Amino acid sequence: MKKIMALIFIFTVHYCFAQQQFQLAMPLMKYRSVFFADTASFTINFNQPGSAVHYTLNGEEPTETDLLYKTPVIITQRTIVKAKAFSNSFAASETVTAEFIKDGKKIRQVSFSKPDDAYATTNVSILNDNTGGNMNFKSGTWLGYKNDTVEINIELKKKENINSVLVNILQDENSWLFLPEQVLVYYYNDKQKAFLPAGKQFFFSESPAAKKSSAKEIILSQKIKTNTLKLIVLPLKKIPGWHPGKGNHAWLFIDEIKVY
Amino acid sequence: MNRRTFIKNSSFAAGAVYTPSILRGLKPDEVILGHNNKRYKIDTQWSKINAAQYPVKDCHEMVQDKLGRIILLTNETKNNVIIYDKSGKLINTWGTEYPGAHGLTLFNENGDDILFICDNNRHQVIKTTIDGKVLLTLDYPKETGQYTKAEEYVPTETIIAPNGDIYVADGYGKDFIIQYDAKGNYIRHFGGRGDGDHFLLNAHGICIDNRDKNKPCLIATSRQQNAFKRYTMEGIYIDTIPLPGAWVCRPVIKGDYLYAAVLQTNVRQWDKSGYVIILDKNYKVVSNIGGNLPAYNNNVPEEMYQTIKIFQYPHDVCIDEEENLYIAQWNSGQVYPYKLMPV
Repeated sequence: MKKIMALIFIFTVHYCFAQQQFQLAMPLMKYRSVFFADTASFTINFNQPGSAVHYTLNGEEPTETDLLYKTPVIITQRTIVKAKAFSNSFAASETVTAEFIKDGKKIRQVSFSKPDDAYATTNVSILNDNTGGNMNFKSGTWLGYKNDTVEINIELKKKENINSVLVNILQDENSWLFLPEQVLVYYYNDKQKAFLPAGKQFFFSESPAAKKSSAKEIILSQKIKTNTLKLIVLPLKKIPGWHPGKGNHAWLFIDEIKVY
Repeated sequence: MNRRTFIKNSSFAAGAVYTPSILRGLKPDEVILGHNNKRYKIDTQWSKINAAQYPVKDCHEMVQDKLGRIILLTNETKNNVIIYDKSGKLINTWGTEYPGAHGLTLFNENGDDILFICDNNRHQVIKTTIDGKVLLTLDYPKETGQYTKAEEYVPTETIIAPNGDIYVADGYGKDFIIQYDAKGNYIRHFGGRGDGDHFLLNAHGICIDNRDKNKPCLIATSRQQNAFKRYTMEGIYIDTIPLPGAWVCRPVIKGDYLYAAVLQTNVRQWDKSGYVIILDKNYKVVSNIGGNLPAYNNNVPEEMYQTIKIFQYPHDVCIDEEENLYIAQWNSGQVYPYKLMPV
């Protein structure tokens, strides 16, 4: 009994000081790109004796009963991976997340408005090269804009029934990179020989968001059969009041387009 | 069973006892940090001084003087220099004229301890006595022909050779190493930016490695390249010590080992991802305090990164005569230095 009381006391004392313990750093998840045609793979580096990295493939927060990371993991479909390091000696790490995004309808080409000079590119297929999803806006995979309207024209290999269009956007508010105000989707109507509205989505930046590579999928208001789509992306014109850059024009960074 | 034994059992007897995660973990003062024969306990409450009375901004660098005192340089102009005893008690403070106080180097000049301060904002290097009397000021090095105005020169570090020669690292300016004689007369410059092994990028620190008495050399930091680079005392490039992933600050040599604060992990920039690195005489990483111990392939360590969030942005390591470490941190919430004791 004495022993049990002592244990309870120890647990209580320990619990009170639990906040003070050191925390593990986030494990390093490595991959070529989050975009892929057939398969992607990731590895996790975290060499800290006494710790283990657990991960999930269903978007849920990892626990110690989830998959234990040992060797590279192959991804074959659209998947949200979350990984976290655990140890007996330290508090569990924060969660590292990556969403792997598979090709949709076959794209012939994606053309785009001229980016800001600082982020100019010679890669004409930068928005459909299955390369990107990193967090570094200077990595060369991102197109950067600071103007009011960005136009993106998508030509598919053939006419397809379209449900949605995905735009990958970098949110890095410390560097003044925000979600756009709005994305509008148009399709080319052969009969009317004109682009007609197919869907749109508004985005809001009223409170701070974590830095992330953010896949935004715009579901079309109706099923459309076409091989030509146009996106009009409206970058955030005024950074909101909670941010040190308030009132200034925000940046928009995009690196990949998918059509489903 | 006392508490310590219990914690040890629950933590290390893997799987033997199931403990709910909320009840697990060690307090900072119970943790053993680092690898191999360079393992430490930590005291995050080492500094006993009153923050309201003696504030700090960035704690940039620390040295130990011949009296055994620990001297801290901060860019807080209420007290740029804070002098501690080894137990963390305040002895004295001085200095209000160093808004960009960054580099602090101690040199024994004919028996007297002398300090060299690099000031980023003043674009100057200032030589002082141990209690702050200014002895010499070095302005921007026009003589090099590389600078047109003081603002281009942002010195971060100095090292003084046994003959009194002063080497200044312009780590936030043009990344040259500028060599002067003891009186401050320009001798030469080397390093600088460019494509090629002998150039530097963010030449944040410099030291003299005299562990091989017959072949002393300079070690300069090339922080954005995650490397140290060695030069002869005349500035001829020798070789590079690659430290993938590690934003190393100045190298500090004590005994057989080289110590450096790693400001941050390359893949987690500006995310409080620093740690402390220790290299042996052959420049091999033997311990990372708060980081992974890298394996070596073809004499190059694998990528290094933070594994435990002990530090945010560590900026310098000072080692006392008992091999205790004192870690000063940049931009880490005005935190005072931590002390680490070898185990």
